Amino acid sequence: MKEVAIAGMGFVKFGRYDGQKGRPYKEIYELGADAITKALKYADMEWKDIQVAYGASMFGGLGVPNQCTSRLGMPGFPITTVEGACSSSQQAMRQAYLDIANGMYDVGLAFGTEKIPPGLIADTLSPVWMLRMGFNLPGTYALGTRAYMQASGATEEDMARVAVMERKNAIMNPNAFWYQGPEITVEEVLNSRMIASPIRFLMACANADGASAAIVCSKDKLKSKAKAVTIVGSAHATATYGYDNLGNSVREKMNPNCTELACKQVWEMSGYGPEDMDVIQLYEAMSPSFLWDAEDCGFCKPGEAGKLVKEGYFEIGGKMPANTDGGLVGRGHPTGATGLAQIAELFFQLRGEAGPRQVPGAKIAFNHCSGGGPNALCHVLKR
Amino acid sequence: MIHFNEIQINGLRRSKMSTNGKKQIPCRDGLWSSPSSPDEKPQLMGSKCPNCGEVFFPVNPVCINCQNQTMNDIKLSRKGKIYSFTTMMLPPPQWYKGPVPFDLGFVELPEGVRVWTRLLGAEAGTFKIGQEVELDIDVMQVDAEGSEILGYCFVPVKK
Repeated sequence: MKEVAIAGMGFVKFGRYDGQKGRPYKEIYELGADAITKALKYADMEWKDIQVAYGASMFGGLGVPNQCTSRLGMPGFPITTVEGACSSSQQAMRQAYLDIANGMYDVGLAFGTEKIPPGLIADTLSPVWMLRMGFNLPGTYALGTRAYMQASGATEEDMARVAVMERKNAIMNPNAFWYQGPEITVEEVLNSRMIASPIRFLMACANADGASAAIVCSKDKLKSKAKAVTIVGSAHATATYGYDNLGNSVREKMNPNCTELACKQVWEMSGYGPEDMDVIQLYEAMSPSFLWDAEDCGFCKPGEAGKLVKEGYFEIGGKMPANTDGGLVGRGHPTGATGLAQIAELFFQLRGEAGPRQVPGAKIAFNHCSGGGPNALCHVLKR
Repeated sequence: MIHFNEIQINGLRRSKMSTNGKKQIPCRDGLWSSPSSPDEKPQLMGSKCPNCGEVFFPVNPVCINCQNQTMNDIKLSRKGKIYSFTTMMLPPPQWYKGPVPFDLGFVELPEGVRVWTRLLGAEAGTFKIGQEVELDIDVMQVDAEGSEILGYCFVPVKK
């Protein structure tokens, strides 16, 4: 397998591009094209250097990736649309990674773009009879959260502290939905309106518009080898039978869940373990899932995450800085663009370009991403 | 809340009429059994694998544990215990027409299956983990043709 590097990343600030209240209006395609252009510029590469592309969107509809690339040129190279729910664009990056690692191509493009309205969105992954009965994703998150609290002893304060930490980080991130936004307190989170008990408004990610893109290439194609960031582990797993994936009506846990499975693979592949990481990303469309992800990924023992959050373990300056860009709660969640936004933060951290969020001397990073299905991806990046 | 013995639905087939003259349609055929007599109550229908013994809801033609392709239909227990619950304070978009707030939950049945369900028959927000609940069938909404759409739910067991 060839050594694969990330040559550049591009980002369109997560926000709202709806033309309302003085905000700019942009099509989902324009957002995607902007992110691609920025990634190319960062990589010091040109459109003609790209040999293969994987583009992602969850709600955009038919042919969104092609509509993005056709604004930059009619390239002729293969463009594959990837839809993997909330992990769509990280799946796109993994496909480009595999193509290059396997020697099929030298330079690939991965990107994700999304425009979604605020509020609850009708999901398309459940049959109509379940939707008529009231099935919805925040509700499903809430059922998982209650079960987790019962098993672990985690409290609503623990969940609130995650949101407070993430919003604090997002304030320092120019690409985040909550950039320069107000700090929030645990009390404010616990007094914010209930969405699906025990999940409250300020524990939830903001639906947002935005786009993200990565140029992925074989290491020898990098224009500059200085501070090169390589992908040293990549894993993708789906549900295994017997795990209570909340939505599947199955019995007690008897196999790893998809996050545990992807982690096991990525640690084996990279040769590293959780203790080796300098900075990490954990996927949390709602703040409570940060807690069980930290445990499932091996960053602490089951039931310990809440206590560690309280101690500041995951803060910038803590022992294992996590979601330094604000996570989904602070960065916002344009579903199809989120997976690569996570990677972007680690990329900037490893290159020492994270500004006030910088984890000093960060050399190795871990990413966890997950989405409906359920599916999970884990990556280890190294400078 | 409409209880079966009160309206004497027999079979929940599309042609059956309820006592108020409205046609009644299950939200999905085959989710629950059709009582053959007024004394009998509906039960959720599941699949049991004769090879590995795993039980599923709803009915599935293949065992998702061992891939065995011959599954037996079984009637699942009417009573179970709440494994988890949430009170929804926002209406789920587009398809849901019921009350808000309302509770959703997973109910664990003696067969080992956890069933995703609405929790009704008590004030929203008053359910507890471990609470005993039983199956009920209710009218969820009325469609454009005036037919009543039926769903399943679990309600507190009457003491």
